[in-house]
Parts: sequence; structure tokens; C-alpha cells
Amino acid sequence: MDSGFIALVTIYLIDSVRMATPLILAGLGEAVSEKAGILNIGVEAIMLSGAFFSFIVSFFTGNLYLGLLAGIAGGIFVSMIHGVLSIHCKANQTIAGLALNFMVMGLTSFLFLIVFGQTTTLPSCSVFSEVKIPLLWHIPIIGPALFNQNLFVYIALISIVLTAFFFYKTEWGVNLHAVGEHPQAANSAGLNVFAIRYFACFVNGVLGGLGGASITLGQLGFFMENVTSGRGYIALVAVILGRRNPIGILAAAMVIGFSQALQYNFQTLGFPIPTQVFSMFPYVVAVIVLFLSIGKSIDPSALGVPFERNKR
Amino acid sequence: MKQSGKLLSFLGIAVLTLSISILLILMVGSNVNQAFFSFLSGIFGSFYSVSEVMVKATPLILTGLGVAVGSRSGFINIGAEGQLYMGAIAVTGIAFWLHDLPAIVMIPLVILGGFVFGGVWSVIPGFLKARFGISEVITTLMFNYIALGIVGILVRTWLKDPSSSLPMSAFLPDAATLPIILSSTRLHAGLLVALISVVIIWLLVWKTPAGYEMRAVGLNPRACMCSGISVYKNILRSSLISGGLAGIAGVCEVTGLHHKLLEGISPGYGYIAIIVALLGKNHPVGVVISALGIAALQVGSLGMQRMAGVPTSISSIIMGVVVLLILARKSIFRRLLTDE
Repeated sequence: MDSGFIALVTIYLIDSVRMATPLILAGLGEAVSEKAGILNIGVEAIMLSGAFFSFIVSFFTGNLYLGLLAGIAGGIFVSMIHGVLSIHCKANQTIAGLALNFMVMGLTSFLFLIVFGQTTTLPSCSVFSEVKIPLLWHIPIIGPALFNQNLFVYIALISIVLTAFFFYKTEWGVNLHAVGEHPQAANSAGLNVFAIRYFACFVNGVLGGLGGASITLGQLGFFMENVTSGRGYIALVAVILGRRNPIGILAAAMVIGFSQALQYNFQTLGFPIPTQVFSMFPYVVAVIVLFLSIGKSIDPSALGVPFERNKR
Repeated sequence: MKQSGKLLSFLGIAVLTLSISILLILMVGSNVNQAFFSFLSGIFGSFYSVSEVMVKATPLILTGLGVAVGSRSGFINIGAEGQLYMGAIAVTGIAFWLHDLPAIVMIPLVILGGFVFGGVWSVIPGFLKARFGISEVITTLMFNYIALGIVGILVRTWLKDPSSSLPMSAFLPDAATLPIILSSTRLHAGLLVALISVVIIWLLVWKTPAGYEMRAVGLNPRACMCSGISVYKNILRSSLISGGLAGIAGVCEVTGLHHKLLEGISPGYGYIAIIVALLGKNHPVGVVISALGIAALQVGSLGMQRMAGVPTSISSIIMGVVVLLILARKSIFRRLLTDE
């Protein structure tokens, strides 16, 4: 094969993995949440909060790891608000998620303006640098894409394995599934439906916060208003495309990441194709996949339905 | 007692929201009195500012009404944003295609076109939900992004104004523009279209058997199935109307305000519409009131930014907080509400 071609493929693969990382992290979190029956369309809010707090803390402390923890905390905070509303208050989960998007979007840009004021140059912090994994790094094509990346990529890859193991090989995964499919039956079988759902929200917060932090601390090194720019919604699409299966989410996120990488390159190279073709690509694919999967029930039966212990 | 408890709980929400706003204003370091004064004068300060509230309320009334009709029959429409853009595409396409028509034919035609385009964009998710049980929340959300993408492509290719380097269409023919109804303001006849739609929807959904069926399906689909009311048909019907209204919102924005197609027609009206419908309790009159309220909040916060230096993002925070508090109302004020 042509060595130039291999180099090109490698570059695109590296870019795709980078673009896919926030989507994988947030998507896995949302998958856990949806498996337990909590549909949270506030992923955008979770990620934005994670991105904001991770940046603020690492900017003022200069410590990226503290920033990472703050990002996780920010994600958990938003996700738990959604959890309390949908589990304790039995509110409409869609509207709660939407309201959180509005609130966090406003709050992060509000706080950012208070802290930094109107600036012409964006304040910036350092980002996690690439870490080469010995030996594995030398594998052609996939080596540089998977094993010469920053911390977030490794966390995302490990999370995929952990979530897959958790979903399909542990009793916890079965419980999670039961709570999402038939909470009444799960309750009768002695499971604590509320606790399991809160746990799912917690995981969603951790992973979504990490996803947000991976944007500010892994890619950009700065924060600005609406820095996630809809990645939370794309993560929702990745979950649907990947059918809440960790490997599926990885595949979906990679496809989306690849189309984003193409989009940026076409933009810089000045091709006469509108970039919107690429930005709407994941959504079109997701709709086609939905049409193709008609007839197979793929949603957890109790998705979006609040559980009330004394009701049938 | 129950009724007064309910009233008190809403009063509690108002007080909480107000305290949060004051807290935010203090955080910026602005004077609270001055901030509130500039908020109010931003809304009521001049003839023009009041008219601006109505300009902003127009698309919110239409999209909010659409979301409300959908919710009444259990169709949660997150896609008003995309449906609005589809309506905007329809009006631009029709206006350039049949550019010789007189206004008296053109205006009804583009409104119909917007209704059909927006309606189709919403009836597809409606069909997927009614026929196959696929959640409309995600499909309508994805359709938003597809619609936005289509607009982005169109204003750069087929509908692009060749004499401009910016991604936007040329100005619409005069016959396809709505008249200004208040001189020296931006207030256009779209408001009248919105108010007429409110009346029509109220008659249709509250005063006809078809409307009764749609509402019944939202309340209890199983009971409807057992008594011969088709859930399938009614979800299709309400999703069509829901998207159609959002499409008309797009028509009004293009024909009344921008007079051309561009990407930034809607600063998230379709998402705010969901809040409008929720606050308006999915009732046409409630939707008008809450749309005016939210439009006033946005216009007022602009005044607050100009004169008191409070960032406009405060309006987004307040909207989110109010909705969250309303969702949590029954839990926060449980004592008040369950008191005998």
C-alpha cells in the first residue's frame, strides 16, 4: 500500500478518536441512565457543567487533576438534580432535562462573565498531553490513534470495557436492566428501584462530567459560552445508534467523530461542499438506522416512566 | 384550602425565583434597585420596547401552541425548532418559485406551505411513535438538526443570493412580506396570524369531537382504544397540527421580520416553546400569556444588560429555574398541598 495513504488514514483515525472521546464518555453515561429507565436529554447540561468547572478549577489551581475531579463533580451535580426531579418528584424527564440545559447554559456563561469579565483574549489553561503506551504505540495505523493519546481517551476506552462488563457480566447489570424494563417486577423481587436509578444518574453524571472535561482539558484548553455546542445532543444520537450497547456506542461515536474530522478538514482545505452535509450526517444515519430497526423493540419498556411503589 | 395551598405554592415559586435573581444580580455587583428598574424600563420604557416584546412573542405563541397541541394528545414535541425552519424553507421556496403572484394569494399560500412542511416534519416522528412505539423525544430532536443542516446547505447553494457573499437568500418578493401593523416598529402582521391560530386551535381542540378525541388520547390511550377512538389516527393528527403551527411560526419570522432565509432565524424558539407550553398549562390562552411573559423576560434582560451590566444569560437561568421549581413544586410544597 501507498505510504502516503497510510499516513492519511492514520491522521484521520487520530482525529476521529479525539472527536469521539467526549461522545463515548457522555454516551456511556447516558446508556447506563437509559438502561435504568431515566431518559436524560440534559446530557448537554451535564457536559457543559463538567467543562466549566474543570476549566475554572484547573485555571485557578494550575492542577489538571483537580480540574478533572471538579469536572466530575460538576457533572454529578447536574445529573443528580435531574435524578431527584425524575425519581423523587416523578416529573416529566424530558422537560426536566430541557430546563437543565437552559439553566446550565445560562449559569455557565453568567459565571464565566463574572469571573473573567468581557475579555478579547480567552483565558486558557494547559491541557493533558499525550502519553505513549510502550510497545502498543508502534502498531501501524491503530497504534498512534489509540495508544498515543491523552488521559481522556484512555479513560474512555477503559470505560467501554468496564461498562460492557458491568452490563453483561455482573448481577448489577441485570438489576439495572430489570429496573428499566419492569420496575414493578424488580421491586417485587426485592430490588430497590429508587436506589438503582439514583446510582444510574450518578454514573451518568460522572461520565458526562468527564466528557465535558475532555473538551476543555483534553482538546481546547479554554472555556467559552456554549463550548459543548450540541455535543450532548450528538451523544444522545450515539446512544440511539449504538443501541445502548457500549461497543455500539464506540462504533457510533467513531463514525460521528470521523465525519466531524472530515468536516474540519474540508473546511480548511476549502472544498466547495457545505460543511452542513457533514454536521447533519450523524443525524441522518441515526434516522435511517431507526427506520431499519423498526419492529424490533429496542427501548427499555419503562424508559421515561416514573416509578411509584404502590401503583400498578 | 387545597386551592389556596396551590396558590401559595406558586407564590413560593415566584419568591424563590425572585430571590435567585437578586442573588445573581448581587453576584455581578450591580445595584438591585437599578437592575430591576432597568429590567422594567427595558420592557415598558418606550412604545418600541413594548412592541419588541410582541415581536418576540409571535413565534413563541405559535410554536408554544404547537407544542401544547402535541402534549394534549401525548406527543412530546421537542422538534418545534426544526419544524420552524422547515416552514421557513417552504415560504422561501414558494415565494421565489411563484414570484408573480399577488399578495392576496401569496400570503395564504405561503402560510399553507409552511403548515404543510412543518407538519410533515413532525408527522414522521408522530407516525414512528404511533405505529412502532419509537420515542418521539429523540426523533424530533434529531429532525431539528437535520432541518438546520438543510437550511445551511440551501442558503449556501440553491437559495443563495448570488449578489452577496453571506450565506443567506435574496430578499423575498414584496408580495410575500407581511405588512408592519404599527408604524416605526418591527411589529408585523405575524402577531395577528398567531392570535387567529390561537382562536382556531381553541375551537378545534376544545369545541369539536375531533379535538375531544385528541385530548382523550393524551389522557388515557388505553381507554380510548377500548372505546373505539383510534390512538394512531389522533397522534398523527395532533403531530401534524403541532408541527404545522411551528411551520407557520417560521413563515411569520421570514415574511414579517427577516424577509429572507438565513440560518439564525430562531434563537431557540422551538426549545423555549416547550417551556411556554408548560407554563401555559397546554391551553391556548395560557400559551399566549406565557409567551408574552417569556418574551418580556428576554427583552427586559436586554435592558438590564445595557443599563445595569447584568449579562442577558440571566434570562436563560431564570427560565430553567422556574421550570425546575414547577416540576418540583409538589414535592417542595407537599405540606401546603396535602393539608386538609
